[in-house]
Amino acid sequence: MAKTLLSRRLMLAALAGTSMVAAGFGLVGTAAAQEARIAAVVQSLDTEFNVLWADAANRHPLVEDGTIALTVLDGRMDALQQSNQFDTAIAEGYDAIIFVPVDINAGNDPVQRAMEAGIPVIGSNTLISDTDLYESYISSNDVEAGRILAESVIEKMGGSGNVVIVEGMIGQSAQVQRLEGIEEALAANPDVTVLEQRTANWSRAEALSLVENWLISRGGEINGIIAQNDEMAIGALEAVKAAGLDPAEVPVAGVDGVTDALLAVQRGEMMSTLQDADAQAQGAIDLAMAAIEGEGYEPRAAVWDVNGGEMAWDGGQSQQYSVPWVPVTADNVEDLLAMRQNQ
Amino acid sequence: MTTELSSANPGRARRQMAADILSKYGIVLAFVILFVALSFAHQNFLSTANLTNVLRQVSINGILAIGMTYVILTGGIDLSVGSVLALCGVVAGSLVTGADPANPALAFLAGIGVGALVGAINGILIARFKVTAFVVTLGMLSMARGATLLYSDGRPIPNLSPEFRWFGQGFVMGVPVPVIVFALVFIIAFIVLRYTVYGRWIYAVGGNIKSARTSGIPTRSVIFSAYMIMGALAGLAGVILTARTTSALPQAGLGYELDAIAAVVIGGTSLVGGVGSVTYTLIGALIIGVISNGLDLLGVSSYYQQIIKGAIIVVAVLIDRSRHSNP
Repeated sequence: MAKTLLSRRLMLAALAGTSMVAAGFGLVGTAAAQEARIAAVVQSLDTEFNVLWADAANRHPLVEDGTIALTVLDGRMDALQQSNQFDTAIAEGYDAIIFVPVDINAGNDPVQRAMEAGIPVIGSNTLISDTDLYESYISSNDVEAGRILAESVIEKMGGSGNVVIVEGMIGQSAQVQRLEGIEEALAANPDVTVLEQRTANWSRAEALSLVENWLISRGGEINGIIAQNDEMAIGALEAVKAAGLDPAEVPVAGVDGVTDALLAVQRGEMMSTLQDADAQAQGAIDLAMAAIEGEGYEPRAAVWDVNGGEMAWDGGQSQQYSVPWVPVTADNVEDLLAMRQNQ
Repeated sequence: MTTELSSANPGRARRQMAADILSKYGIVLAFVILFVALSFAHQNFLSTANLTNVLRQVSINGILAIGMTYVILTGGIDLSVGSVLALCGVVAGSLVTGADPANPALAFLAGIGVGALVGAINGILIARFKVTAFVVTLGMLSMARGATLLYSDGRPIPNLSPEFRWFGQGFVMGVPVPVIVFALVFIIAFIVLRYTVYGRWIYAVGGNIKSARTSGIPTRSVIFSAYMIMGALAGLAGVILTARTTSALPQAGLGYELDAIAAVVIGGTSLVGGVGSVTYTLIGALIIGVISNGLDLLGVSSYYQQIIKGAIIVVAVLIDRSRHSNP
């Protein structure tokens, strides 16, 4: 018994030793062959947008040809997890960190620590509240998304009537800022009344039940549904259809441009605005490289003006870059879907 | 896992019976009061459309809670059901997506089959290798979620065939399919538990496993089967949820195990096993569903919903304990 236990321990130790040596060789090997090591700390690889973001990051030309060693760390929707991942990345001495924070405030401190350790942090997609800590950041303006979202519903309603608002997880930057934009649009349209406003925590299943219940409590009063993301908009759409209503009569809109939403737009059942994951992810990698290599660095992502895109590169020296939203329409939805197939 | 429930003291037994009846009526009474109060509070609550909604919203948690009742009656617990639900959903969904979808019945059975398989793994580890159910199913909660994300690439699987979506969205004679499935599951579970030898074995194993073993009950097989049934029902719930949300969502079912356990506990089934019934679990699930629906109708903040649900769970356990402890 004692002997088997001992031999098992020895075996384990030997195994651990070999793998550490192997890992060590691996690290030495990569350090020699690669110019840059970048860590990307993302919100959660359970959500479609983050997966698209990570896939896009891995398709950056310099990642594909091995110039950049990119490590994507899954924050599992937990601010503490992300903070720990920052510590790991700092200890491992990464050249740059790209950050998609879970929480707008809890993200400040880890970025501060990285800055003190001399590691540049590039913000992408969602942001921390103290944006001065970033080397630079690239995102789409969520206030603008909220405004586009609300305006699309109000326009379909003919400028007057009653709406309900399905909100994201309360306190997250996307929820707060998209609501700000929605309220701007509502202020500009005094004939629109908000009947109900509640969170469905970004979840399709929760939004489905919530809107089903609203359609009962508010009978025929609801003329439009504003959902802060596509997942919830699709849940709302299913509730509308299940109640026997025509989606053309009760317009539904969301934000993000997830695949299901593109398909629903194609069927003419809802409206959506695409958040450009490719531009945000690949743009962030270019900004990280600009921070590492300095002004002479040539960006590779297609989104930049120097590569035929829409965004001004400015030598990679600006602090803030804003990726434009892409309204999904009957005209461009086929192209977007085709693009999605390749992502 | 064993517990002392029977007592030789007749006075205590009588008092316990009285408390028993009271606590059972208590739950039914709570439901009736809630129901009547909401009928007055909102004019549409009693409408056919709303009651149909409530039943449809309850059906997923209800199916899980019925399986959970079996597991908890044996003195166990299954924390993995939410993840297993998601895994079965993406497996079923992957078969009926795209241009050439498989027969929806095949996807339906595949979902249930994967669930039963995962449940069987749980069951073997718990019954044969004597690992604590809490630990095994906690491990499975994580493994099944990982497998779901791996299988689906972390993305929803869209474009499910209309025939498959019928399981979530269809109607038979005005009754939603999920409600019919839920009703069938309940009736079968009720009959098996009350009128079959196997049903008595479930209670015996949870009541006192040692005496169950000495009286010749195949305790291992009974425990194993309870987890397999739970897994299959989680698969069934996953298929219905997927058909209802029109896409197989890898992040579906997060935290569903807690709602299922809550329904069982509110229904007065003892967490130590041996005491309880699916009828009260049904009422427990209905209470949770009606609260959520009613507060939505009344426009009450979801923050209150969480507080109210939690308070009801604690009160239900207090009642449960007063039933089992010494007076």
